[in-house]
Amino acid sequence: MAFLTPFLTRRGAGLLGTWRIWRDTGRLAGRTLVTACTPSAYNRATRDVVMKQIYFTAWQILPTFTLFAALLAYVLIQIVVTTAANYGLSEFALEVSVRMLVLEILPLLTALFVALRSSSAINTEVALMKIHGEIEALEDAGVDTLRLELMPRVIGGVVSVLALVTVSSALTLVLAYVAVYGPQLWSLPDFSRVMAKVFDAQIMLGLLLKTLAFGLAVTVIPVAEGLATPRKLFMAPVSVLRGMVRLFFVLMLIEMLSLAYKYI
Amino acid sequence: MERPPVPEPVKRPIVPPLVKNLELKIGLLLSFTLLLIAAFALYVLHARGAFEDTRSLVLIAENAEGINVGMPMTFSGFPIGKVKRLDLGAKGEVRIEMAIPERDARWLKQTSVFLLEKNLLGAAKIKAYSTDLGDAPLPDGETRALLTGDIAQEIPLLVERMKGILTNVQAMTAGESAINRTLGSVATVADRMAGEYGILEGVLGGPEQAMQVVGVLQKTNSLLAHLDGVSLKVDGILAKTDSQVFGPDGVMDQTRQSVAKVNAILGDARDSLRKVDVILANAQTASADVTRITGNVSAATADMARLRADVDDSLRKINHLINEINRKWPFARDVEIRTP
Repeated sequence: MAFLTPFLTRRGAGLLGTWRIWRDTGRLAGRTLVTACTPSAYNRATRDVVMKQIYFTAWQILPTFTLFAALLAYVLIQIVVTTAANYGLSEFALEVSVRMLVLEILPLLTALFVALRSSSAINTEVALMKIHGEIEALEDAGVDTLRLELMPRVIGGVVSVLALVTVSSALTLVLAYVAVYGPQLWSLPDFSRVMAKVFDAQIMLGLLLKTLAFGLAVTVIPVAEGLATPRKLFMAPVSVLRGMVRLFFVLMLIEMLSLAYKYI
Repeated sequence: MERPPVPEPVKRPIVPPLVKNLELKIGLLLSFTLLLIAAFALYVLHARGAFEDTRSLVLIAENAEGINVGMPMTFSGFPIGKVKRLDLGAKGEVRIEMAIPERDARWLKQTSVFLLEKNLLGAAKIKAYSTDLGDAPLPDGETRALLTGDIAQEIPLLVERMKGILTNVQAMTAGESAINRTLGSVATVADRMAGEYGILEGVLGGPEQAMQVVGVLQKTNSLLAHLDGVSLKVDGILAKTDSQVFGPDGVMDQTRQSVAKVNAILGDARDSLRKVDVILANAQTASADVTRITGNVSAATADMARLRADVDDSLRKINHLINEINRKWPFARDVEIRTP
């Protein structure tokens, strides 16, 4: 039985560590949201960080990302339209395309794009700050790091994801119209009918909540992971790796929950 | 005492901001995003008919299979309304509440028919049919029956009917069927028609009969030629009759001469009567002069005898004339007419 004790200890410690990090992430998300909803938390410094975060997360990649999303959307729409036509189900092509792209693929794609680009950067930055003791130093000096450093990043991330999803979705709707009806305006009533069918209040609210959840996940998880980094330099890459994996897992979980809510 | 020199304030280099026009860019991006979201929300509200008046129509169906909320109802293939609510009625019937935009309500009439079409593949469809567009429009909140055109339900029935039809077709195409026999007879007739006498042979059944008909035709032709001659002769006879009755020395001419003679005889008779008048006058004078009468009796008697002879003569002539006329008049009742 002797060999079992260290094994169980190791497992238990691992499990506790995992539990702790999830708990910390949840706490951080809650505190951030509460702070974000407090008007007094905003000042010039906070706004500056938010704007910079949005600039680096959304503005810089907007043209490239939009082009990429448009190409992917157009190819997928064409595949759906052609396949539907082959089976004599053309009337469903538009609905399927819009549901698939606007409701599912584009938000997820945006979240993954932002995760790869900004979340990893945030995670590294926070981890290094933690390792170098900057965060503790700031807090010792009476600076509310959550309010000045972390919350603005989260807000910037959420707004960025929302903006990217909105722009790429709007473009995709235009592309879907062109792919299905051709470049003319006479079929707008038909298009409107399908839109009315797809976007009811529930779906719209669900899409908004899902996008916000994606935005929250891509910023809160790397920040929480960075804050949980042990103060050893070699732990920085490990922290980023863990953060990314957990982020991917959470994004998929959100998507799965949203699908289950909509279709089950 | 010298004061220590005030240290020069540290000159901080003026660091250009990291991003130019950061606020403008972020403002642009955010307002564009908000604009898109608001515009899309408005568009969806418009598409869902939030800004237009609708009138309701309740359709009653047997079951709600394949019908769902938001499903469109089409008229001539165009959507003119959609299912707003599904409900189960008191008697277990399905009440389908439709919302029809005011501008599309004109297609629905009192006599409109509503049909639920279920296909083997694809979604069910609610279709409206208005045969008479001049009819009175359908009022708001009306209740109508939703007829079901379920192809899947019809298939077994269709198969049964098809079996019956196929059996009939089989009987018709069998070797000894009526159609085959009829076709055989038609072939025989057609063969005959191809013979020397054509259709006649086909209709009459053989060349002999056809030959007889042709013979009859030839005889008829010669008979007609004879009739031509006969009619020519009749023409001649009529011409002769004409000349004998109406020509010079014809019956009419002689009659005219006889009438002239009658006139002359009548003149004679008038003369004789005048003479009688004279005699009667003489007799009057005689009665007045009785004495002279007795004296002249012998002479008077002689005159009377002569007068009697004259009257007799006239009467004889008239009698003769009447006989003559009777003889010559061709149309007298008891005169027999003989053909010339």
